[in-house]
Amino acid sequence: MDRSFKARLERRFGDQLTGPVRQRHDETEVRIGPGDVVPVITALHDEPEFSFEFLADLCGVDTGEVMQVVYHLWSPTTPDWLRVIADGLSREDPRVPSVTFMWKGAEWMEREAYDMFGITFEGNRDLRRIYMPPDYQSFPLRKDFYLADDAARSPGAGVRPMEQTHVPRDTVATGKVRRLSPGT
Amino acid sequence: MTATTPRPDVTGSHHTSSLGDDAFAGEPDDPRVQLDRDLGVFEPVPPYPPRTEREAEFYTLRDGEMFLNMGPQHPSTHGVLRVVLKLDGEKVVDLDPVLGYLHRGVEKLCENADYHHSIAYLDPLEYVSSLFCEWPGVMAFEKLLDVQVPRRAEYIRVLSAELNRIASHSLFLGWMALDLGGLTPILWSFIERDTIVEMLASLTGQRMLFNYFRIGGVNGDLNHEFMSRLGDWMSHATEQVEAGNTLLNENEIFVRRMRGLGKIDSKTALRMTMSGPNLRATGVPFDMRRAHPYSAYPELDFDIPTRQEGDCLARYLLRMDEIKQSLRIIDQCLHQMPDGPVMAKLPRLLRPRPGRAYAGIEAPRGQYAVYAISDGTDQPFRMRIHDPSFLHLQSVGLMMPGHLVADTMAIMASLDPIMGGVDK
Amino acid sequence: MTVVSRGWNRLTLPGKFLFILVPLLIVATAALIILITAFGQLALDTLAANLPIVRFVVAATVILLITVPTAFLIIYMEMKIIALMNLRIGPDRVGPFGSLLSVVHGLKVLMKEDFTPTGADSVVFTWAPVVVYLASVMTLLVIPFAPGLYGADLNIGLLYFFAVSGLAVVGLLMAGWSSYNKYSLLGGLRAAAQIVSYEIPLTLSVVGLLLLAGTMSLNQLVENQQGWFTDWYIFQQPLGALILFIAATAEANRTPFDLTEADSEIVAGFATEYSGMRFGFFFFAEYVNVFIVSALFVTLFLGGWNAPFALPEAWQVQLSLDPASFNIGLLFIIALAPVVLTLLFAAPFWLVSSRIKWWQALLIGFVLANVFIVTLAVAWAYIGLNWVAGILWFMLKTYVLVFTFVWMRGTLPRVRIDQLMGFAWKWLLPASLLNLFVTAAAIVVIGR
Repeated sequence: MDRSFKARLERRFGDQLTGPVRQRHDETEVRIGPGDVVPVITALHDEPEFSFEFLADLCGVDTGEVMQVVYHLWSPTTPDWLRVIADGLSREDPRVPSVTFMWKGAEWMEREAYDMFGITFEGNRDLRRIYMPPDYQSFPLRKDFYLADDAARSPGAGVRPMEQTHVPRDTVATGKVRRLSPGT
Repeated sequence: MTATTPRPDVTGSHHTSSLGDDAFAGEPDDPRVQLDRDLGVFEPVPPYPPRTEREAEFYTLRDGEMFLNMGPQHPSTHGVLRVVLKLDGEKVVDLDPVLGYLHRGVEKLCENADYHHSIAYLDPLEYVSSLFCEWPGVMAFEKLLDVQVPRRAEYIRVLSAELNRIASHSLFLGWMALDLGGLTPILWSFIERDTIVEMLASLTGQRMLFNYFRIGGVNGDLNHEFMSRLGDWMSHATEQVEAGNTLLNENEIFVRRMRGLGKIDSKTALRMTMSGPNLRATGVPFDMRRAHPYSAYPELDFDIPTRQEGDCLARYLLRMDEIKQSLRIIDQCLHQMPDGPVMAKLPRLLRPRPGRAYAGIEAPRGQYAVYAISDGTDQPFRMRIHDPSFLHLQSVGLMMPGHLVADTMAIMASLDPIMGGVDK
Repeated sequence: MTVVSRGWNRLTLPGKFLFILVPLLIVATAALIILITAFGQLALDTLAANLPIVRFVVAATVILLITVPTAFLIIYMEMKIIALMNLRIGPDRVGPFGSLLSVVHGLKVLMKEDFTPTGADSVVFTWAPVVVYLASVMTLLVIPFAPGLYGADLNIGLLYFFAVSGLAVVGLLMAGWSSYNKYSLLGGLRAAAQIVSYEIPLTLSVVGLLLLAGTMSLNQLVENQQGWFTDWYIFQQPLGALILFIAATAEANRTPFDLTEADSEIVAGFATEYSGMRFGFFFFAEYVNVFIVSALFVTLFLGGWNAPFALPEAWQVQLSLDPASFNIGLLFIIALAPVVLTLLFAAPFWLVSSRIKWWQALLIGFVLANVFIVTLAVAWAYIGLNWVAGILWFMLKTYVLVFTFVWMRGTLPRVRIDQLMGFAWKWLLPASLLNLFVTAAAIVVIGR
């Protein structure tokens, strides 16, 4: 846990943070709004006191209420991981600027987030499905994804009697979607 | 290619379907009917207009170019991978990998399983190096639960994982040679791998998908059979590795085919978020074991081999160097093994408090990471698995253009992707 | 009618076969006897009058027939030897040490479905394997297996050989184009480019030899190499031999030049869409090709059917045993020899060891007696008939070279197409030209 790092982050990005900088074990977490992604990431990458050159991971999260895009970064200046959460994307039309201008390798990670959640990354030249077939209709990792519905919409519907698919405990059918309490 | 012959009106006359004759009647793709269909050219172009800029750029042909589909069924792609090549004669102009043939929905499955069960889902991802797939999962959960792993368990984890690393790199050797046409090295490297895998089977009970790491430790202490097998193997491991090396390193054909192939420089590699041996072969000395030390590695003494050229030969030689370093680590683990329990005391039903945790380790292919979110129940809320082979496949598109079709396989083999991990 | 059908159903399957076969055989024998008595003399006269044509037809038939067992043997050799190099076992179950496996493969290939892929040009698709196979097999016509054992002694034998083996390019292109498949097209074009570019060093490498020998007839070339092994042409044309070996490896599409069938890149190259006996033709053609290039190398550079040593005149053994002079003694020998030899060989085993029972000793004795008799017969044939000696030496040398080809396949990776072409045009061609000039200069200077 690097306390001086937390101080540096609050000093530099204070007004762009939408929540406190949290630290647990060897990770530091920062939340920003989707519009601030480009300037924050650019600052973290370019400025020598941060120099977060290595993008370790980019993923989407569906908390049940909002969508988030989470970036994990590594820098030689601090022993902690930095987690940047672009918080507050709407569940109907989640949009976030793409970081492919900085790391071309983020292209496929953003494609995967689009494929699984439906998050549109503006600026990604190749935002098409990567795991699911190109004509697939739903977004599998969303919390309101219900497998039986999806099977009914697929071209294979009606050919075979449908087996009882694995029904998760909190589903759209029972009216409940699994939610994460905000700020977790 | 433009006119279509009129279709004969046949409804269920030669074949019967067990579902009843009306299931498919009249559809354009009625499988029961043999048509005198007009044959187009079977191109791998998707049947819809291009949806993104890159798709449009890729699927428009200039004069003299053609598509070649190295389909999911191919003797040489490392699993079910489909690559659409755009060729100008024998030279590759561009390529587009198509994934998803092995997608199993592991992340979704883990959300519906207990914390203990989701560890078992992680094994078949990079099945060649399974322990490295379980490790970040257990580390992330241990962070969520604030569990301290006993030192002996950490050492055993490092020992078994480094053995798995050697096995994985031996397999890489064999595959690399096989993709270049040599039939012998793969069988010799399988002998090497078989010895190690039998060793790990006597330790974990399984030859390939080990399911050995548990939250808080490992599933069982070292036993006598494992130690005796390990001792036997270690006594001649170094010479065996050297012998395997000399078979290939001094073969002129092999070296000439790999040198200068698929060159990538360090800045581009960092931009492509590559990690592991592929990044170190370009000159960047980034190794998770030293950059962000975890487990017992801070107490162990080993080097990080780095090479400067960034071509296939460099990646190959680098993995050979890594095998030697792994042997050093195993030696030190055996000498420094502390006593104690191998598993922390944990309740059966695990309910971590709500929070997030990220754990990244150095797998044989690169940085393997798991990002786990807990919502207070006994099932993970989100389990994100970050796999290195996924990112390395992106860079094939940067390395290929200008080389020949035969080199596609060589370059892909030198990046060492495992499709189980790529497709999750 | 039911009597007939009931009687028929009572027969077992072998019974049914015999019931049809035996009357047919009787009828056939009778017809044959009638034909022979009626036209026999006429047939013999025609044959005697056209002996060269008859000889040619017989030779061509024999050549076509021997390619198949040769291919079987070489396929088995390759599987077993590469397996042993890979520290595996290889074929193990079918026949002793798995030796019948390739025969079983041949039968399997005959039993597969015979189809043409959609869109393929069926005439060209069907004839491509035939062209490739024939191009390989026709070259065997001029190779001398033993003194007197050759198909035809053409005085342009070597030229015929290279011309005919080059026809394989046509077959490969036919296969690659007609398959309606991009992989096959790539493979066929690669194959054509490879074979055509290696033809030139192949033919140029032997021109030096031709200058030395003064003849293109393969029979004559072998006869020129009589004597000790130092008379073999490999010592007079080492560079030419090396270039021929390398170029022949490329011609035969063998590793390290086997990228036409590189199954790690383009599935099976030009043969991707082929299955069943059509693929069997390609497969056999490749292995017969290996045999042929080995045979060529042996003929040109390793002395053909000559033994590596030449016995001086005083040592020549003349077998002057006339079987007719034995009269009744011959019958006694034939009747008693096996028994006597068996007992002779069995006695030491039974007497020396008390664990070997008398019937085991007799069995061992019988096997050893057979071995002894066969060795005697072979030695007699070797000494008495010069063609037996010739064919034994020829086959031994050829199979040593086949082993070398198999050895290379098990050890070396393959080269890339641009490296292959570069090697042919930039290295082998100048080397063969150099060989030619040096030989010509030596001949002029030394003045043969």
